[in-house]
Amino acid sequence: MLLSAESVTKRFGGIRAVDDLTLTVEKGELVGLIGPNGSGKTTLINLMSGALVPDGGHVRIDGISMSGKAPHVFARSGVGRTFQIPRLFRRMSVLENLITPALALKRTYSRVEAEHKAHQVLAFLRLTHVAALEARALSGGQQKLLELGRALMLEPRLLLLDEPFAGVHPKLLDQVAERIEELSRTGYAIVLVDHNLDAVRGLVRRLVVMARGRTIADGAPDEVLRSVDVIEAYTGR
Amino acid sequence: MTSYFVLQVLNGLVTGLIYALIAAGLTIIFSVLKIVNFGHGALYMIGGYAGYYAIHLLGVPPLFAVLVAMAATFVLGVIFERLMLAPLYTNKVDRKDEYATIVTFALFMLLENAAIVSFGPFNKRPPSFTDASLHVGMLTITGDRLVAAGMAALLLIGLSLFMQRTSLGQALDAVSQNRDAAAIIGIDAKRMFTTAFGLGAALAGGAGALIAPIFTLSPSMGDLPSVQAYIIVVLGGMGSVPGSIIGGMLLGIVEALGVGYYPDPNRALAYSNAFGALLLIITLLVRPTGLFGRAHVRME
Amino acid sequence: MALRAKPAISWLVAIAVMAALPHWLNAYWLHILATSWYYAILAVSWALLAGFAGQFSFAHMAFAAIGGYTSGLLAVDLHLPVPLGILCGVASAALVGAAIGWLCLRLRGPYLSLFTLAFALILQLIIIAEYQFTRGSLGLSVPGLFGGNSDLPYYYAGFVLVLASLAIMGALLRSRVGLFLRALREDEDAAEASAIDTSYYRILVFTITSAFAGLAGGYYGHYVGILSPNIVTIPEMGLVVAMAVVGGIENLPGAAIGAIFVFVASEALRSGGQLRFVALGLVIMLTQRFAQNGLVVLAAARLARATRRRAPSPKTATG
Repeated sequence: MLLSAESVTKRFGGIRAVDDLTLTVEKGELVGLIGPNGSGKTTLINLMSGALVPDGGHVRIDGISMSGKAPHVFARSGVGRTFQIPRLFRRMSVLENLITPALALKRTYSRVEAEHKAHQVLAFLRLTHVAALEARALSGGQQKLLELGRALMLEPRLLLLDEPFAGVHPKLLDQVAERIEELSRTGYAIVLVDHNLDAVRGLVRRLVVMARGRTIADGAPDEVLRSVDVIEAYTGR
Repeated sequence: MTSYFVLQVLNGLVTGLIYALIAAGLTIIFSVLKIVNFGHGALYMIGGYAGYYAIHLLGVPPLFAVLVAMAATFVLGVIFERLMLAPLYTNKVDRKDEYATIVTFALFMLLENAAIVSFGPFNKRPPSFTDASLHVGMLTITGDRLVAAGMAALLLIGLSLFMQRTSLGQALDAVSQNRDAAAIIGIDAKRMFTTAFGLGAALAGGAGALIAPIFTLSPSMGDLPSVQAYIIVVLGGMGSVPGSIIGGMLLGIVEALGVGYYPDPNRALAYSNAFGALLLIITLLVRPTGLFGRAHVRME
Repeated sequence: MALRAKPAISWLVAIAVMAALPHWLNAYWLHILATSWYYAILAVSWALLAGFAGQFSFAHMAFAAIGGYTSGLLAVDLHLPVPLGILCGVASAALVGAAIGWLCLRLRGPYLSLFTLAFALILQLIIIAEYQFTRGSLGLSVPGLFGGNSDLPYYYAGFVLVLASLAIMGALLRSRVGLFLRALREDEDAAEASAIDTSYYRILVFTITSAFAGLAGGYYGHYVGILSPNIVTIPEMGLVVAMAVVGGIENLPGAAIGAIFVFVASEALRSGGQLRFVALGLVIMLTQRFAQNGLVVLAAARLARATRRRAPSPKTATG
């Protein structure tokens, strides 16, 4: 058990965005998290990365409660994340975007070491040619990749990817999916959020479906997609 | 003692209504453009002088001069918005929050010093709205205060009706709630930004013209009321015109009582202003996204 | 090699020129430049706080006042040696800066500006109201840092302080802390997600820049010999904002040059009265609108391009 959310609840005003939800992610797992808009997926990601504090329940990493910990503690405990709309350090270079988390993670890292590692990540993401550009100069798809790279620089054990395919040029879609698959093969645990079923179903071995702040199905993709509840949640019947 | 108390409360109510007018303008600008206008106090001051010169040079009757002041500050607001704030809506400038703070603060510098140059550093006093005054028992309230309060109340009611009943007001509201959605239903956001800034400036200018006969005009007259307006907008907490009215009157009354009852009269005046600023600090600490209770969204 | 040596050479030339300058200056302009060091330290530290770390504070002059008054009062009331007093001033400014930074942790963007504006206003009113300690608006007479009537020692002392401020804050920016501060400015949530303890760095940058503001205040007080609540006024803060904006809000030497330039220009145009500040307001707007990185930075870039065109340097020079 790498990360677990234990009956977490998050309210915004009167709405329970996440409602008494329990979810466990094991080491090396690739989990797809889907659900209609407003079902609480992003809120759950924010809870699992410390960006939001749950109103009830606990988030644990390696069994240790993370209650009241700031997001940077989650990051140091091995949780890397991306945002639905890329949130880069827009007026810093691509290379600086990458070395920043590495230098924040380890005081012993020198800038040279961090840059060396950043170049490996850039090569992995096929972004070497834009290393010197400012992050805001990148295309939407490149920004998504850079954000993934920034999370990778944390040497995370778990990646929380919020809609990695949204806003990506169709030509780049395969490249993003390919990179995620590759990462999963090398042992990263990944939670992949998307509302687009087709993008996710081929990629993952476990599919979690959320609706109205709860999980309504959890299991192998084909099984889950046959479930009546899921069809209802998506068609609204 | 009780009549003194009542007088202080009534005086506070009058200044409170003027504060509310300034704050309502600030509220509209913030909720539609998502910027804090640090030049608001200067627009209020310009409104005061515009009214003064309308009376003295154009021979406009004092009450009508308030409308002239509003028109003048409206035009000034629109020009500033078109020239300096319009680049915010495109990607012509970086660091949008900082940009907005700097250029509105520069507007304050420019107007206040321009006022010293053109109007002189010394206080001016426009003629009264009326020589009459109201006597209730032992109390005397000057007619000017009553007229100013009445006009401020009328303007606030008018603003409320405008926001609720007219399509332009509703369009402003729509943009303030959700720009993208407003764009989808065909509202020209750019026009709304210009309208909002002009309207906000006009409300500040109107307040300046109303207060001028009661206090006096000076180039720095806007410094403190603008801080008061920030307090009210933060206190008001909902971005609604009623919110700023209640907040404004509360602050006005509390201040008037503070000055009236502070044990050491030497310090009373100084600390009554500090009290307002302290209120602002505490409110921000309790409600960090204070203004209107909505989370502030960075513009970029 | 050649390009890398260039900044060092231009620094040395600039320092040599400034060090030799008093030979050609009359007492008045010596005084103006010695005063401009005060603004230079303020503009540089404010540029670090607002330009690099994105904390748009209006309280910077308040920290200068805390530094100045602490040092001044210690010298007047307890007869503490002036240099020791200035150190105490720096420490107390840093301490209050840390506290303000801590209080402001949850405030972003314009809310922080409002908060710091209110803080500065309160401090100004306290200095005015508590006149039995501070002499209020009359001003507090404080002893000089050096004996004698000459401004020359102040000129050099202040100049060294400006250089030291630039060196220390510049080194901070070139270290990893500089990266973290810029990341903080760009996106606080993303910085947290990147393992940066944003609360720590926000308090840190407030502490450091307030310490330098306190240093500036101490230098200024013991140079001109009188402290008044006017230090904390909004127009003074506006002047420092203008200096940093004109020089380059994201360029520390630019901010220093901007401060010296704006102050010297405003003294040279003294006959213009308040009109100078009307012009300054206009200059700020135009700089923001058309040269957001600052006029000094723009001029430097133009100059560099012009010299490169005149003497095209070989490509290898960059390596």
